[in-house]
Amino acid sequence: MTQKMTWEEMKKAFPDEWLLIVDYETDSSGHVVAGVVERHSREKDEVFCSPVVNKDCAFKYTGESTFPGGWRSYAQRYTV
Amino acid sequence: MPNVTLFDTRARYIFLPIFITTKSGKKIELDAILDSGAPNTELSDQALERAGFLDTIKKDVQLKPGLQTQKYGKVSLPQIEICSHPVNNLEVYVSHFEKSWGVDALIGLDFFKRFRVTVDYKAGHLITAPL
Repeated sequence: MTQKMTWEEMKKAFPDEWLLIVDYETDSSGHVVAGVVERHSREKDEVFCSPVVNKDCAFKYTGESTFPGGWRSYAQRYTV
Repeated sequence: MPNVTLFDTRARYIFLPIFITTKSGKKIELDAILDSGAPNTELSDQALERAGFLDTIKKDVQLKPGLQTQKYGKVSLPQIEICSHPVNNLEVYVSHFEKSWGVDALIGLDFFKRFRVTVDYKAGHLITAPL
């Protein structure tokens, strides 16, 4: 894959996947707004695995985070 | 000098891009959550291994009930950029992160100890300045 895509295009093309993005562009806050998807998979291991890309790169997930933070979530998940 | 960092106010958490400089001098961008409930900044073992700061990933790490993450080591990052501020020699915890979390870092209170952090949900941005 060598085609440059916007972040919105990546999310549509690779839903709920981890991406390795190279040749990326960022906005003023550092958010990736475009780049070339070098590798993609639903398995994070496959995207982080070797061989290492010998250039600047970004690792991003296109799905919704399920991070369970907050004590309230603990209380909901782990009833004493 | 204060920096302004935009974030998506519709998201459940405040997601931020961070940049770590690898041992070979390349920059890796990762997504992080600003987590005032975390005493220390934590990075995923996968990201740290990829950046050359961790030799081996523990394969048998499982989350214990009541814990967000499972920390199992510490490393010092020579250079990391958070909210466009370069931070040198930041000691971070090595943690196992579930793949569905979609992030590789939690920015904890150690960042708040170095920077004044103003969260403005109405404007959808953070203002950060060194203390």
